[in-house]
Amino acid sequence: MARKSHLYEYHRVHGKITEFSGFDMPLWYKGIIDEHLAVRNAAGLFDVSHMGRIWITGKGATEFLSYVLPTNASSIKDGRAFYSTICNHDGGIIDDIIVDRFSNDRYLVIVNAGNREKDFQWLRGKTESYEVHLEDFSDSSALVAFQGPLAAPLLQQITNIDLKDVRRFGFSEGLVAGEKSLIARTGYTGEDGFEITIFDTPLAKPDRALKVWNDILNIGASHGVLPCGLGARDSLRLEAGMCLYGQDIDDNTTPVEAGLSYVVSDDKRNFIGKQKIAAQLKSGTEKKRMAFSMIGVGIPRHGFPITFSGKSVGSVTSGTFSPILKKGIGMGYVPTPLAELGRTISIDIRGSEKSAQLVTPPFYDTSIYGFKRKVSAQI
Amino acid sequence: MSDSETYDVPDGFYFTKDHEWLKQSGSNFMVGITDYAAKMLNDIVYVNLPKEGDTLKQKEVFGQVESVKTVSDLYMPVSGSIIKTNSKLTQTPELVSNSPYSEGWMLEISATNYSSESSDLLDANAYRKFISSLKDTE
Repeated sequence: MARKSHLYEYHRVHGKITEFSGFDMPLWYKGIIDEHLAVRNAAGLFDVSHMGRIWITGKGATEFLSYVLPTNASSIKDGRAFYSTICNHDGGIIDDIIVDRFSNDRYLVIVNAGNREKDFQWLRGKTESYEVHLEDFSDSSALVAFQGPLAAPLLQQITNIDLKDVRRFGFSEGLVAGEKSLIARTGYTGEDGFEITIFDTPLAKPDRALKVWNDILNIGASHGVLPCGLGARDSLRLEAGMCLYGQDIDDNTTPVEAGLSYVVSDDKRNFIGKQKIAAQLKSGTEKKRMAFSMIGVGIPRHGFPITFSGKSVGSVTSGTFSPILKKGIGMGYVPTPLAELGRTISIDIRGSEKSAQLVTPPFYDTSIYGFKRKVSAQI
Repeated sequence: MSDSETYDVPDGFYFTKDHEWLKQSGSNFMVGITDYAAKMLNDIVYVNLPKEGDTLKQKEVFGQVESVKTVSDLYMPVSGSIIKTNSKLTQTPELVSNSPYSEGWMLEISATNYSSESSDLLDANAYRKFISSLKDTE
């Protein structure tokens, strides 16, 4: 019997349900392409309550996080969020996470739905020499993502937080639709947007979560805002060049190989996985995650071989059809000597080799789409 | 998904349990996928069809239809050789979603074993019952 998120009642009526990481979630409501384009042109609302939310508190919280993560948490300012990876002792990635730093003694960690129990057990197992307390509050809270160029002006209408004071990767507590919430200016689409944690909304009685969800959809309805499912969530993050745990990153990839070296703080502190990671930062890696855009027709899919000069050199880790580019796009690991931008490689699509070019993500034109776009949308 | 979702199943067509349709056209047959299949796939973005002149057996894979997230194999409803494929589908795969039984046709085939294979096909009523039973288990 699959688990349900706080917003299941809405999904059950309006969405096409699929199972994801043990949860019944909406794959789409109207359609993946409509929802994808709504996020790039207006805004879209995603239920991500199935993801895990953990409080990490105590005098030793900063030291603890700075040991279990390659990122030095003491270098992050209060009120700022950061992306990082929980690594194992071989430098492999256990999960990729977002951490909100409230203070030296208080952090909120958001983990992938499929890794909730794994991450909590791993972190708990590392707390021994630290004065730190972990609390999983995933069931008593909900999380929704409101993403797109219109997200800020629309959300402003139903929150007492002045969003002008919440910069990208910043967060603030306040009310959303009258409910106690946390707004973080983070997201998984490449657009401006917010991830909103709603407090005091238990799974057994998720009224507050449903209120926030419905109020956002109501104010957005006349502006082209759509509820969006996991299908669009995947096509959007891939267009933005972002990784999906289990596909692009896993226990066998280090942050350096994955092109995520920026999560490794440059200092003398010891952290789990440091030996391998430091060695790779110094001497390089054998393979690198690269993004590629198909040159002709054909859609790359997970597992398809990447070939060069007729030989298989790697495989596709994520692939899809980009609704913005109207062609296939993907990511995969390529031997470092071949990992040059602009290089042409081939993808073996069901026995047929199709050309693709290595590119820098995001795949869309950042002057037209994404949070850096030149023309801001008006409502 | 709403329980009142209805799927177009036109009389006079024949169907397979893999959701392909077959319709006589002169001495040949037209082949495509059903409205049910198109709706299950949602946004169809790519259709991969065989070459004219290819000969394929009943139930053999003749191509793929792709949505943003998935790839689905397409199976021959009956054995035959490919006379024509719908070249419009390369540029406008949406024709399959919008018009699965007419403009979204995929193949024109010359059937090689129709008299013995036709009994494997479902008529419109049988196909309607079949997709009803699928909905019940969703």
